[in-house]
Amino acid sequence: MSDGRPGESATHGGTTTFTPSGNSFLGDFWVNFVRWNRKAVRNPFVVVGSLVQPIIFLVLFTQVFGQVATGAIRSGGGAAISYETFLLPAIAMQVSLAAAAGSGIGLVNDMEEGMFEKVLVTPMSRTAVFLGKTAAELLRIVVQIVMILGLGVLLGAEIATGLAGAVGIVLMGIVFSLWYVAFTNIVAVLTQDQESTIIGANLLQFPLLFVSTAFLPLDVLPGWIQTVARFNPVTYGVDGARALMLGEDVMTVLEVTRFGGIWDTLVPAIAVLLALDLVLGGAMVYLLNRASSSSVQ
Amino acid sequence: MTDDTPRTDGGGAAIEAQGVELTYADGTEAVKGIDLTVPEGEFFGFLGPNGAGKTTTIKTFATLLSPTGGSITVNGFDVYEEPRKIRETIGYMAQETSVDEELTARENIRFAAQAYGVPKRQRADRIDELLDLVDLADVADKEAGEFSGGMKKRLDAATALVHQPPLVFLDEPTTGLDPKARNRLWEYFERINERGTTLFLTTQYLEEADQLCERISVILDGEIVATGSPMELKRRVGGEILDVEIPAGDEARERAAEIAREGDVFDADADVARSEDGITVTAERAREHGTDLLVALRDAGITVTGFNIRAPTLDDVFLAITGEELDSEDRSADAATVTEPEVSAE
Repeated sequence: MSDGRPGESATHGGTTTFTPSGNSFLGDFWVNFVRWNRKAVRNPFVVVGSLVQPIIFLVLFTQVFGQVATGAIRSGGGAAISYETFLLPAIAMQVSLAAAAGSGIGLVNDMEEGMFEKVLVTPMSRTAVFLGKTAAELLRIVVQIVMILGLGVLLGAEIATGLAGAVGIVLMGIVFSLWYVAFTNIVAVLTQDQESTIIGANLLQFPLLFVSTAFLPLDVLPGWIQTVARFNPVTYGVDGARALMLGEDVMTVLEVTRFGGIWDTLVPAIAVLLALDLVLGGAMVYLLNRASSSSVQ
Repeated sequence: MTDDTPRTDGGGAAIEAQGVELTYADGTEAVKGIDLTVPEGEFFGFLGPNGAGKTTTIKTFATLLSPTGGSITVNGFDVYEEPRKIRETIGYMAQETSVDEELTARENIRFAAQAYGVPKRQRADRIDELLDLVDLADVADKEAGEFSGGMKKRLDAATALVHQPPLVFLDEPTTGLDPKARNRLWEYFERINERGTTLFLTTQYLEEADQLCERISVILDGEIVATGSPMELKRRVGGEILDVEIPAGDEARERAAEIAREGDVFDADADVARSEDGITVTAERAREHGTDLLVALRDAGITVTGFNIRAPTLDDVFLAITGEELDSEDRSADAATVTEPEVSAE
């Protein structure tokens, strides 16, 4: 604001000498990536808070149910593994869910704070804005899964496939998170209400986890849960992560034998999750576009 | 209206709008055919009660809403064809304070600077200048969530100015602020206007429009019902205004109104109305005839406890144009800041 006359910087007739450096797509992406990372770090509840529940599950479940559950795992025909080892991949997916819930909550907060509109009125690419935010959230998922895997190993869990398997579990967590990222964003756009989004995004996690293969093998679950579990995305995420953890085919909801070994679990799990990611992601992009378009509704 | 020459020598129009309409999908006609030209460098006021269409109009100018009819050019760019060019060349301060509460004041401004593509080498200086401009330099590294409402508003204003836009939209920027914070914001707006920035302000505070704006349009139910400088608009009310305070009840006030109307005191076209605590007479040369009215009232046995002659305010303009007062709640909140009605010498 040092030297007068910003008015001089605009001319008329379609041309302009007012040229704010013309942001690149990558530049816009980066600015938003940095903003959302900064907000995450700033807010200890986001990083640590969303880890508390999974950690409680990991520690208490293994302590309380460990004895009983180990028997269930074995009777289910599983290998001789500890409950810690069985549970850890499920907890990693729980972390992924909890962090993905933050995506829609972040969006609805932005809407309520007016930042959503404020960003829309800037010349930034809207795609870059959204990708920057999502990338920051995925980074958080990676960091948190790494933390929980570290804790699990300390508690006695064993990753049979070693470091490569751990990396695989992290990637599985990303593939698994996307549909829930999309889902919570959809809730945010549709309700445009902070409380509804928080309740919707957080409460759904628990029933989803319990009616899946997360805590016990499929065949020791009651019949109706077995049925629901087949249609529950959590089952596919958990089975995929568990296959990587144990280094063997663990999927029981689908019988696939074509690929051999853990790929009999990984291929169908990833296929199912990617399909779901695409469907929900498409719906989310459509709704976000509508929410940010200037056409009146 | 082009006689109100802009302060810049550009001579162009910052906003050129013709027949702007906006009808929501549910059939609500928020804006019903607005024609508006705002020259570069002008401090323009858009005045109207809640729900009149102020925010909808400002959003169509700022490319947040696409008009359902009419044409709009902002800084020479068409809203349909080149919305991104418009976004690059305007600042927009929404009615609702918009700051990221988890970021510091400095980070908020930096984010805006990056979003608007302020070149990197200028960024740090620009951020410091803006922090100074809005008096937040000493809390620059505190998170905005800790700020008071007024501080957040000022921060919001700073982020709207970060790219030195030639045109800034301010949508009720001072609503909900205490008088001190409000006056402070007014100073900033005047300062940037003096530097040549065109300001488009919506407000429901008549005093705000009167003090800041060179030209005002009054919007009511989606239509512009009057445009002119505050002086012109006030002149339109005509004459002087006489407020008479009568403590006795309705009956006495009704009789007083009759005396003012029928007695031989004022010109025939005088307007007599009941006010909250007495009567109000609008008439030419009310000043000269005021004492006659007092005498007539005393003769009729009506006690008068207050008596005030003043020039019309924008309040009176608004009342005359729209037949209604601005939102009374807001008015009472505003009352503390309204300066005493002037009994100016001629």
